[in-house]
Amino acid sequence: MSRLKLSTFQYWHEVVLFALLVGLMLTAGYIAPTFTGLPAQSEMSTHVWELALLALPMTFIIITAGIDLSIGSTMALCAVVFGMGFEAGISLWICAGLALLTGTCAGALNGVFVGYLRVHPLIVTLATMAVYRGVAEGVSHARPISGFPDSFAVIGRGTVLGLPIPGLFFIVALVVAIVALSKTPFGRSVYAIGHNENTSRFSGISVDKIKLLLYTLSGTAAAMAAIMFVARRNTAKADIGQGMELDVITAVVLGGTSIYGGKGRIAGTLLGILLIHETREFVSWQWSKDEYNAIVVGVLLIVSVLLNTVLAKRRVGD
Amino acid sequence: MSKNAIISKLGVLAQKREYGVLALLVVTFITVGSQNHAFLAMGNLKDMLVACAPVAIIACGMTFVLLLGEIDISVGSMMGLLAAVIGILTSPQHMGLPVGVGICITLLLGTGLGLINGLLVTFGKVPSIIVTLGMLTALRGITELLMAGRWITQLPPGLRVLGVGTILGVPVCIWVAVVVAAASILMARETPLGRRIYAVGSNSKAALVAGLPERRLKIFAFALTGFLTAVATLVSVPLLSVIESGIGNSLEMLVVTCVVVGGTSTNGGRGTIIGSILGVLLLGMVRTDLIFLRLGETSTYWERAIQGAFILVAVLIDHIARRRSNLEVTQ
Amino acid sequence: MLVWVLSLILIDLDGYYMDFQLIEVNEISKAFGGVQALDGVSLDMAPGEIHALVGENGAGKSTLIKILAGTYTPDKGTVTVSGKKLHTGDVRASEDAGIAVIHQESTAFLHLNAVDNIFVGREPLRCLGMLLDRPLMVNHTKELLKRLDEDLNPMQPVGELPLAQRQMVGIARALSKQSKLLIMDEPTASLSTRETETLFRIIRQLQSDGVGILYVSHRLEEVFELADRVTVLRDGHTVDTLPIDKVTRASLIQMMVGREVTETSNEGSKSPETGKVVLEVDKLGREGVFQDVTLQVRAGEVVGLAGLVGAGRSEVARAIFGVDRHTSGSVKVDGSVLCSGSVKEAVNMGIALVPEDRQHEGLVLPMTIMDNLSLVIQNRLTRWGLRSSEREKELAEKTMHDLDVRASNAYVPAESLSGGNQQKLVIGKWLASSPRVLILDEPTRGIDVGAKTEVHKMIRKLADDGLAVLFISSDLPEVLAMSDRIIVMRAGTVAGELKREEATQEKVLELALAESRESSQTDKLAGGVE
Repeated sequence: MSRLKLSTFQYWHEVVLFALLVGLMLTAGYIAPTFTGLPAQSEMSTHVWELALLALPMTFIIITAGIDLSIGSTMALCAVVFGMGFEAGISLWICAGLALLTGTCAGALNGVFVGYLRVHPLIVTLATMAVYRGVAEGVSHARPISGFPDSFAVIGRGTVLGLPIPGLFFIVALVVAIVALSKTPFGRSVYAIGHNENTSRFSGISVDKIKLLLYTLSGTAAAMAAIMFVARRNTAKADIGQGMELDVITAVVLGGTSIYGGKGRIAGTLLGILLIHETREFVSWQWSKDEYNAIVVGVLLIVSVLLNTVLAKRRVGD
Repeated sequence: MSKNAIISKLGVLAQKREYGVLALLVVTFITVGSQNHAFLAMGNLKDMLVACAPVAIIACGMTFVLLLGEIDISVGSMMGLLAAVIGILTSPQHMGLPVGVGICITLLLGTGLGLINGLLVTFGKVPSIIVTLGMLTALRGITELLMAGRWITQLPPGLRVLGVGTILGVPVCIWVAVVVAAASILMARETPLGRRIYAVGSNSKAALVAGLPERRLKIFAFALTGFLTAVATLVSVPLLSVIESGIGNSLEMLVVTCVVVGGTSTNGGRGTIIGSILGVLLLGMVRTDLIFLRLGETSTYWERAIQGAFILVAVLIDHIARRRSNLEVTQ
Repeated sequence: MLVWVLSLILIDLDGYYMDFQLIEVNEISKAFGGVQALDGVSLDMAPGEIHALVGENGAGKSTLIKILAGTYTPDKGTVTVSGKKLHTGDVRASEDAGIAVIHQESTAFLHLNAVDNIFVGREPLRCLGMLLDRPLMVNHTKELLKRLDEDLNPMQPVGELPLAQRQMVGIARALSKQSKLLIMDEPTASLSTRETETLFRIIRQLQSDGVGILYVSHRLEEVFELADRVTVLRDGHTVDTLPIDKVTRASLIQMMVGREVTETSNEGSKSPETGKVVLEVDKLGREGVFQDVTLQVRAGEVVGLAGLVGAGRSEVARAIFGVDRHTSGSVKVDGSVLCSGSVKEAVNMGIALVPEDRQHEGLVLPMTIMDNLSLVIQNRLTRWGLRSSEREKELAEKTMHDLDVRASNAYVPAESLSGGNQQKLVIGKWLASSPRVLILDEPTRGIDVGAKTEVHKMIRKLADDGLAVLFISSDLPEVLAMSDRIIVMRAGTVAGELKREEATQEKVLELALAESRESSQTDKLAGGVE
């Protein structure tokens, strides 16, 4: 993080994103005025917290030049554990604890393979994406579980002092993430690993431990997201979270985090989250076809990385 | 020097992967066969090979992609789209075009999609995971739109022949798979193209210095995979009684698993077509095993989990072999 | 009519003259970003000439080579090969013109065997140009290897071969191209003495065949042994081109550096005996890599670790430091045992390792000087758990001053520094951790003579201040100049030890070589002198 005294203003990417967001909202507001109204936005904002929460550890992971494709499947697994525990009559608190444990362990498994066995995170999380989803489906026989008590639904839909409860979780996580990444040695180690893992090892940075930690946290976040989702939708099923990894990765990459590692900021991710969220919601609002969403986000992912590469080249100059 | 002796011995271990898979294949075959004689029935074996054929066809293309250090997880969605396309084009319920036309368009479309992947990866400099992840989703969406929830049930006989027909008693799809595999093996070992692919995957810096056309090779590999996906679609879809939008779902997972299990490294430079084919056979056998072990209907759920587990195991084995061998350039 | 005949004759003579020159480099210029790498460089060579190219790092040698090879396109200037203008920026065109390069960095395809390595990109074909002509390829490979006196299995993946043999395969590849001009960039860096001799023999053979050799090296002894003429580059300009008998080592260095430089002479340690043993390595081994390594380093002492490339010195250093795990033996610092495999612990106990590859192991190039310097001890530079920019800045300024790191400020990225300054940065980063033991692995590799001397002085001073220094180098004169004691490694184990007074290049080499002797370890540990 260098000084701002020079004319090298570092936050151009965020500025562009912000402009895009404003542009999007203005266009959307023009085409469908009720979309940008407060009631609609408020209602839609209840959907965003899972995406937002998962994007935080993903930012760290992608900065280390890694990736986690298994978050959607981990979510499903945790939801299934939660739901089946509930069906078995276990108290909801313990169910939540079990779900968190599942997510953490799932993430830790990824972390062990990536950190200690030094396998490429792409392959590991591609495999665990299948394993966790498969286990979720197999164990629950793909049955939906519902009928959760209203008191539980409050977690998903309720508010405290006007702020939605999941939002509060997110804000806490957000603050921790921002501080950790930009102001602590840990954060610098994360950047260093992304730039040059070899040197990081040679410099005494516990690369393996850090990677283990990041993937584990990703799993824990997935568990929290699962609980939030189940609370909100009042249903736990093995097919939830499908495509979540695409949304999250797109949000992070759109936000300026380089897929090659070493670069990225939480501020950018935030804007990326907003952009993805509003884009999705708008597409659903206008055309109410999920298929369009898939196409839009898919294309958005590719385009955002393309843009990143083009912009980076222009900045550096060769 | 003892160091080199050990390295060369364990370098052979890395090559032994094909033998390892073959051994595993034989062992599984015997174990299940001895427990359940119906498994060994010719009809069952034929069914198994027919199910393996399309996977093997795509795996040949995927091997080249992985050898170059890239990956393509869009093949499943590609197949879904191509199946929808051939269905809509040729079915008398819809456009009813001649089968030949439908086949040509499908093949072109498949190659074209692969070409797009290749161009984005090479000229767009977008990592292949991102490109194919985006494609996976986008193509699936397009397929859903195209099919609009319909099911296509009537297919012209000209098309059906590709799936159901036999030449000399052996189903067409198996013939096609054999031809594709043989051509791929030949290409990999005996052509300059094949050697250059291995070279680029092994050391792209040196490849640059040697003047090897990395971009062209990658575009070729992706386009080939797209083409082969189309071929696989054409020989497998006619077998189904109905075409719907979910075809090919998580096929990419299966193909990548087969190729990785068969010994191809995701870092590039190492792997063989034969290994991939053996991987396909092994996983095909596992799938039928599950059915025979009477996990019944739930077996389909666990299938995905088992495929993922296979990759993890393969990767673990790789790790143990790699720890002593110095083949991978550390970077 | 007479004029017409005369002009014909003149034109003919002109062509005849042109044929004499193998290659002509005319006023080549190339800039990267704002940096002028080459500025009006000119060079010429006759067929069968061995022409040495020397210069400090950053002088432009690599750039010139890459332009000749076709990897880069020059901004200005032309290259003519045998009278024909070369189409620059095209690897194929350079190859077709008869230019072949043996590179410094590894350009081997580890997964392919020697045959493929030699032929890839220029494969001979058969069957209507579709298939490889394998028999031809294999035969040709065997011939080449025989010529190089190299006995290896051509069908074995090259990654399984030792580094020296890999390099020979690279040389075979260049030889197989039937080139007119062979450019060699530090070709002997990874070779054993035997292979170097073979290479020199080949070079002289090629010379008599009329092939021109452009020989780039920091090893001035080799230049004096081989070259007919030498060209000195400095800061992208040609300083001069002279016949070899018209230069001396000193005058060459002076031309390279632009000022008079006194090379480091060995003054020896101030008090090598009174310092106590800080680093104690006892029968250290790593299975399959090295074994039974025992050595001590005292405070105030510089112990040189010599040996051929591949003897295992870097591996020992890495095992001591903890980057690699050792499988037997122990490492003790100030009497306390160090557990295997934890770099963090090694650092806490006071060991520092300046690694061989400063760009990929020593620095995070895109990060700033300040970030790089703080990297090792960043946890100590915090205030309430958060990074303290005041303390980091303080460290950076102090280090840059003490070590004379030349940069505009502490916020520039490390990649913008020259090789010498980058090396100082790595040393500075480690000094910040207040180590007791400093291990340096080839610290002056690829650094120009001026910076080299500075680094030597720095290391001597550190030792005098009480540090225990283990100095690994393949540059024999350097090892002899710097060390109080020299430990020689051979084939993964300690071959012997020499004190400063008794050490000579020949004795070190003998210990490093002695392959056929079956004598026991004790013989060698006793001092290694017959």
